[in-house]
Amino acid sequence: MRQVSERALDAASAAGASYADCRVVNRTVQKITVKNGAVAAVELFEDEGVGIRVIVEGAWGFAAVDRLDGVSVEAAARHAVQIARASSRVNRIAVRLAPAPPLVGVYRTPVTRDPFTVSLDDKVSLLMRTDEAMSHQPQVRIRECSLEFVREERHFASSEGARLDQTIIESGGGLDATATSDDEVQTRSFPNSFGRHQVCAGWEAIDAFDLPGNAGRIAEEAVALLSAPVCPAGTMTVILDATQAALQVHESCGHPTELDRVLGHEAAYAGTSFLTPDLLGTFRYGSEHVTMTADSTRAPGLGTFGWDDEGVAAQRSVLVDQGIFTGYLSSRETAAAIGQVSNGTMRADGWARLPIIRMTNVNLEPGTSSLEEMIATTERGVYLETNRSWSIDDRRLNFQFGTQNGWEIVNGKRTRLVRNPIYSGQTPEFWRSCDAVAGPDEWLMLGVVNCGKGQPSQSMHVGHGAAPCRFRDVRVEPAR
Amino acid sequence: MSRDDELLAAGDAALARLERGDAELVIVDDTSELTRFAGNEIHQSVAERSRYVRVRLIDDNRVGVGEVRGFGEAAVERALHAAEESRRVGTGSGVSPLPAPDHRAGGPVAFAPATAAATPEQRAGLVSIVTGAARAHDVNAYGALSTGTRTTAIVTTAGVRRAATATQASVVSVARGDDGGGYASRHSADVDALDVDGLATEVVDTCERNQGATAIDPGDYEVVLSPYAVTDLLEHLAWVGFSALATQEHRSFMRMDERLMSELVTIRDDATALDVFPFPFDAEGVSTQALRLIDHGVCAGVVYDTPTALRDGVSSTGHSLPQPNTRGPLPRHVVMDAGTTPWKDMVSSVSRGLYVTRFWYVRDVHPLRTVITGMTREGTFLIENGRITRPVKDLRFTQSIVGALDGVVDVSRERRLELGEGESGVLAPWLRINRFTFSS
Repeated sequence: MRQVSERALDAASAAGASYADCRVVNRTVQKITVKNGAVAAVELFEDEGVGIRVIVEGAWGFAAVDRLDGVSVEAAARHAVQIARASSRVNRIAVRLAPAPPLVGVYRTPVTRDPFTVSLDDKVSLLMRTDEAMSHQPQVRIRECSLEFVREERHFASSEGARLDQTIIESGGGLDATATSDDEVQTRSFPNSFGRHQVCAGWEAIDAFDLPGNAGRIAEEAVALLSAPVCPAGTMTVILDATQAALQVHESCGHPTELDRVLGHEAAYAGTSFLTPDLLGTFRYGSEHVTMTADSTRAPGLGTFGWDDEGVAAQRSVLVDQGIFTGYLSSRETAAAIGQVSNGTMRADGWARLPIIRMTNVNLEPGTSSLEEMIATTERGVYLETNRSWSIDDRRLNFQFGTQNGWEIVNGKRTRLVRNPIYSGQTPEFWRSCDAVAGPDEWLMLGVVNCGKGQPSQSMHVGHGAAPCRFRDVRVEPAR
Repeated sequence: MSRDDELLAAGDAALARLERGDAELVIVDDTSELTRFAGNEIHQSVAERSRYVRVRLIDDNRVGVGEVRGFGEAAVERALHAAEESRRVGTGSGVSPLPAPDHRAGGPVAFAPATAAATPEQRAGLVSIVTGAARAHDVNAYGALSTGTRTTAIVTTAGVRRAATATQASVVSVARGDDGGGYASRHSADVDALDVDGLATEVVDTCERNQGATAIDPGDYEVVLSPYAVTDLLEHLAWVGFSALATQEHRSFMRMDERLMSELVTIRDDATALDVFPFPFDAEGVSTQALRLIDHGVCAGVVYDTPTALRDGVSSTGHSLPQPNTRGPLPRHVVMDAGTTPWKDMVSSVSRGLYVTRFWYVRDVHPLRTVITGMTREGTFLIENGRITRPVKDLRFTQSIVGALDGVVDVSRERRLELGEGESGVLAPWLRINRFTFSS
């Protein structure tokens, strides 16, 4: 990898680049899916290539190629320079980078058991036991469970002298039980929806999920939802489970604190942000119970690493401090635009994509309450579990979420199961109405494995630590 | 040797190394470049060259898949090895066989040499048309202009041997003023045919008309939806209901031969249509057939791949995604038939309603009922007494797609080629719908 990057940097400099960096990435992905009692797919993916980023005459250029021979790498470096030069003829403003020390080091995800050393037979066996545990509910017509493992070797080198090597390992798994009747379809998922829960960890994470041990209960819940009453409508108290709280954090805090969105870099696609720089340090984003951080040092989140993809060290930043908006996710270029230094959130979806600002582990810090206490002190409301749908506007204000499960709360008691709940609101009003967050004992490191952003599109794995939390006066209704 | 022939030869050589069982080799060679702009400046410009090899091995009633993104014989060898490793742990049931060649004549392919030869300088020049128009009107342009060439080759031990090279050029832009924005996009196989001037005029015009929007109460409104918005409805309908697997698993809204929508609504999938990125075969190498999905409001058909076709005792329609998969087949060339009304006349029939330029962040809320939610974005206008009178602030909608299409009262004679969120081609008209629910 080092030979490739040295050759790329030399070629870029010789062609006229004033700055260049190079990422050589080798990614291996293993996916196993069992559906309705049969192995639906066992897929092994390998992916290797190099991405070269340059600044020439004040403009960016980037070229990537999957051929690591010297001729191809040098041609890619020269192509990146050609691209940058073409852009420089249109542009009027030169790129400026905030300073960052050129670092040298090695990082590896800490794992107890490397998932790639576990046999495929053992992995299939686990999924078949999970499937069997769901199979006792005839109304569950679609049973699907899966495992996914990722190993990514990353080498980063820059013309400023950075030389960084990382090995990131991810383990994920999950199950979906879909029950159908003549007029209804209901899906329940575990540990999270949309296929799986994934973390930067080894096989020990899969053991901890206990998919077979939870599969029967989840299948029963899917069937129960078919005949459950629809969710009541009205303005009421909402308690979110940790998985739904994590997605709420993702959409309404993670994305709007991305500084490239704030500066308009994503205006034509992902959108902008309501958290403009004039609000930094003074804007009341949430109640005093709400503290949110970006922490790429916090294992086992999917945003845990040694350095970001422009060589800035992993770190913890406070985005919202006891309700006050205090920080952004930034890069060297965007940080310079507001007189700061990068806090290390540039990430690329593999070698073929340009690093852009992405969430690392954006966390709702634990509070002092508990789910039990929150329910006991709620007169009328709903407890909502596991995301089913999500949507938010391009400035990240107007949101609507649906969840798989709802539990009606009456006079401090969790009463009946309700189906098709959705809730909606405006981001600051919603977080200002937060009056309780559960403590460290109920705080989980969760994540999102399909966060889309950028053109060409990039899909990123990001982490979110969250705990159950309570909100007052929220609009709730059933999906009709 | 053409790129098609080169990849076919690589596939033939790989199959020759196979010792037993059946195999499908898919080799895809991609060259894509994209220039992105923000605030009238190019801020990202990228190029990618890559190739991947996907091998599906079937033997002893077990299937395995290996996929390697890389170049040359070593990548093919690794993909074969990975496929055999994964095949070994299959369960020996439910394996779909490789389809036999269908011997249908190859259909048209969206290809233009100019797109394949596009340069960074050319893209920067086209972008400057948009940013120049924005500067001239004192607004800022944001967006991306991309060109790409993809060669896909499929060879199988069942005798399928097909290859095709397609190109695609796209430009998408948002223009923003002090208090509002506009949106426009154009897509073509041929970068020289990309109407960048038309896009620049449209995006700046919409931006200028959409300044100082005021709030309007949510509720039910008559609407005129532009093709950008209609594309979202059609794409989500395809995802949740037009697949044979969705009907087999009882999660589709489709009830064959029943009328669920307005008689003005006819929706087809047509990979042979010259104006919707035609491509002749699917991920199994089966010829993609044109078929009616909704015929004058009546549920008329769903798309099949080999596994779902075997289950229903019919032939695949050539809409397979890479096999094996649990998603089922997918229409990727959705066409809605045009009407007769010029789109500019559609507003004149509305006494009070909304004109919607585009939707944003559309997600399924209840797939069986085709309920989706999303926001309007960059150009929502109040219509009063047959005229657009003022811009209004963006609204959230929560609406059944089938319900909306049942309320279609007019379809424009013009249509636009759009790319959906899933990068599928969609040919969509303007629609006038008598009731559409905005929830907040």
